[in-house]
Amino acid sequence: MAGPAPLHKRSRRGFLKLAALGTVGAIIGPRQAPAAPKSLTLLHESSFIKTFDEYFQKTLVPTYEKETGIKVNYELTSVGSLPTRMSTITETGSGADITMTFLLLPFLFDEKLLDVSDIAEEAGKKQGGWYDAAREAAIVNDRWKALPFSNIGQLMNWRTDWFAEVGVTKFPDTWEELYEVGKKLKAKGHPFGFELGHGFGDNHGWLYPLLWSYGGHEVEPDGKTVVIDSDETARAVDFARKFFRDTMLDDVLGWTDVSNNKAWYAEQISCTNNAESILWLGKRDFPAIAKVTDQAQNPMGPKGRFHIMSAISHAIFSFTPAKEEARAFLRWLTDEKQLSGWYASADTYYQPLLHSYDNAPMWQVEPRNIPYRDALASAHLLGWPAPPSRQLAESVAKYVVVDMFAKACAGAATKDVIANAEVQLKQIYRQA
Amino acid sequence: MSVSSELQCCRLKGRWADWITSGLSTMRIRPWLDRESVFSWLMLAPPLLFLAAFVGYPFCYGIVLSLQDRPVAQPGVFVGLKNFATDLKDPVFWRVASNTFIYTGIATLLKALGGLGLALAMNQQFRMKNLVRAVLLLPFIVPTVLSTVAWMWILDPAFSVFNWFLIRLGVPKPGPSWLGNPILAMTSIIVINTWRGLPFYGITLLAGLQTISPELYEVATVDGASGFQRFRYVILPLLQPILLIVTLFSVIFTFADFQLVYVLTHGGPQNATHLFATYAFDLAMGAGQLGLGASVALSMLPALALLIVALTRYMQRQ
Repeated sequence: MAGPAPLHKRSRRGFLKLAALGTVGAIIGPRQAPAAPKSLTLLHESSFIKTFDEYFQKTLVPTYEKETGIKVNYELTSVGSLPTRMSTITETGSGADITMTFLLLPFLFDEKLLDVSDIAEEAGKKQGGWYDAAREAAIVNDRWKALPFSNIGQLMNWRTDWFAEVGVTKFPDTWEELYEVGKKLKAKGHPFGFELGHGFGDNHGWLYPLLWSYGGHEVEPDGKTVVIDSDETARAVDFARKFFRDTMLDDVLGWTDVSNNKAWYAEQISCTNNAESILWLGKRDFPAIAKVTDQAQNPMGPKGRFHIMSAISHAIFSFTPAKEEARAFLRWLTDEKQLSGWYASADTYYQPLLHSYDNAPMWQVEPRNIPYRDALASAHLLGWPAPPSRQLAESVAKYVVVDMFAKACAGAATKDVIANAEVQLKQIYRQA
Repeated sequence: MSVSSELQCCRLKGRWADWITSGLSTMRIRPWLDRESVFSWLMLAPPLLFLAAFVGYPFCYGIVLSLQDRPVAQPGVFVGLKNFATDLKDPVFWRVASNTFIYTGIATLLKALGGLGLALAMNQQFRMKNLVRAVLLLPFIVPTVLSTVAWMWILDPAFSVFNWFLIRLGVPKPGPSWLGNPILAMTSIIVINTWRGLPFYGITLLAGLQTISPELYEVATVDGASGFQRFRYVILPLLQPILLIVTLFSVIFTFADFQLVYVLTHGGPQNATHLFATYAFDLAMGAGQLGLGASVALSMLPALALLIVALTRYMQRQ
C-alpha cells in the first residue's frame, strides 16, 4: 500500500479485528464462577387491575431491593400468552426465574418446577392454613410445585334493577329458579348472556360447575375411567339447552371472553358469569351500571353448588441459576406483610387462599365481592374430581365439555353430544 | 493514552491489515472471486443460511417432534407415526381439515375474481388514481390483529353496522348472530380474509396488466374485438402466469392462516372455524402436547405440496 492509510480507516479495521479477537477470546477463554445474581425475573400476567401491577412495581420491588440488594424484574405478558411464554422459557432453559401459573400449568410443567413445599407449609402454619382448593391447585405428586397466591373466582353477575322488575330482589338459589327468572327477563328484552364459545375462562367458569351440580363428571377420580355418559350429564345438558333457548342471546354460542363484558356495559344482558372485574371496571367507567350490578354464588343443582377454581400461583423454574435467591424472594413475598398489601391493591379481585385473610379489611371495601370468598369452599379445578393431568389439559384445549353443551344448545340431541364427547375423551384418555 | 502513542498503535494495527490484504492478493483470491460460479454461490450463501436457520431447522425440528410423544417440559419418546394415527381418529381433526379446505377454496376464488376486477378497474384512467391505489392497499397494510378487532365490533350484534342496516330493512332484532352460527361464522371469516387479501391480488395483477403492451389492445380493437373478447383473448392469456403465482402464494397464506381466527372466534362456535394452524396451536400450547400439535401442523404439508407441484408444473408447461 502506497503511503500511510488515513487514520480513521486504520482505526476502524483495527477495532473490528480487536473486537473479533475479543469475542473469540470470550467464547473460548476460561470461565469465571458466576457471581451471586443481583436480579431476579418474575413472569406475570398483565393484571386486569392496574393498581395491582403498580403495587408490585412501585412498592414491593423497591422494598425488596432495599432489604437485599436484589432487583426483581416484573415481566408482564397477557394471561393468554402465559402458557406460550412458559413453554418457550422451559424449552430454552432461560428467560425468567419465577413465573405465575394458573389452572393446570403447575401439572403440565411439573418436571421443570422446584419443590416449594417448605415455603408453602410454613405460610400455611403462620397464616391460618390453606383452603383445600389451594392444595388441589398446587400439589403435584405430594409436593407443592407452586405457591398458591389466589383464586380469581367466576361468579354470577346480575342486574338488580331488571331482576326487581320481575319481582326478584335476591339472586335465585337454584338453576331452575334462575331459569324461571331468565325466561321472564328475556321476554322483557333483558336476556342472559353466558359464554358458550371458544373463550378461555368464562365458558368453563359456569359449564363445569353446572355439570357438577347435576352430578355429572368427565372422568373418575382414578384419572382413567371416562364417565361422561351418565343420566346426570344428560340432565345437565338438557337444562343447558332450555336455559340457552329461553333466557339467552343467540350470539353467546360464538362468544369469547371479552364478549360478555362488552354486552354487560352495552346493557344488553341482565345476568352473566364472570370474575369481579365486571363490577370493578363498572365502578371506574360505568358508575350508573355499577350501581345496579350485584354478584352472587353460582346456583345450586340437585347435587349441590360448585365453582371453578382459577387459582393463580407462583413457581420457580428448576433450571434457574438463582434457585436460592428465588426461594428467598418467594418466602419474603408470602409473608403476611407483603401479601396483605398486594392483595389489598386489587380490592378482592385476587381472593386469598389462606384462611387468615377470611376477615381481612379488604373484604369490607366492597361487600358485594364477599360471595367470591364464600365460593372458595366449593371451588374445584377443571376436570374435577379427576386429578389434573396432561390428558385433562388436552380435553380442555379441545373444548370437549364446552362444545358438548354448545352443540346441544345449538340444537343437537343430548345423546349425540354426549356420545361425541365420550368418543373424544376415550381417545384422549387412551394411555392414562 | 497520548495522541502519539495512539497513532503508533493505529499504525501497528494498520500494518496487520496491510499484511492480510497482501496475503489475500498473493493467494489470488480476487481472480477466484471473479469466477461467476464462485461469486453467485457467495451471494446466495447468506439467504440460504438464513433459510436453513429460520425455515429449514424449525421444519426439520417439527418433523422430529411430530414423531415423538413429547409433552412440554418433558423429554420426548419416539413413537413413529402414532400421532398421525391419533389425528386420523380424532373427529375434530377431520372437522378442522374440511374447514381449512372450504376456507381456502372459497376465499382464494373470491380473492382471484375480486382481485382481477380490482386490477382491471385500477388500470383505467381516472382522477386521483394514485391516491385510490394507495388507499386500496390499506387492508393489507393494517396489522391483521388490529383489523380483526375492528371486524369483531362490526360483527357484534349490538354494535354491528350490518345488523343496523338489516334491522332497518325489516329483519327482526337483534339481527343475525354472525359469529354464533356455524355457517355464518365461517362465512364471516371468509369475507374478512377476502377483504384482507384482495389488495395483494389487485396490486400484483395490476402490475401484470401494465406490462401488456397497449398496441395489443389497439390491434384487437382494430380487428373488431369487443371489450369481453379483448379480456378473454388478450389480457387473460398474458396475465395467466402472474395469476398462477399470486394464487400459489395466496393459497399458502390462506391455508396456514392463524391470526384472524385466533382473535375472532378461537375456532368456535363448536369448532366451526378451527383451522389447522389454530388447532395445532391449541394442542401444542394449550394442552402442552408438542408432538401431537406438530403432527396436526404437518398434516397441511401433503395437500400444499401437491398443489405447489401441480401449479409449478403447469407454469413450466406454459
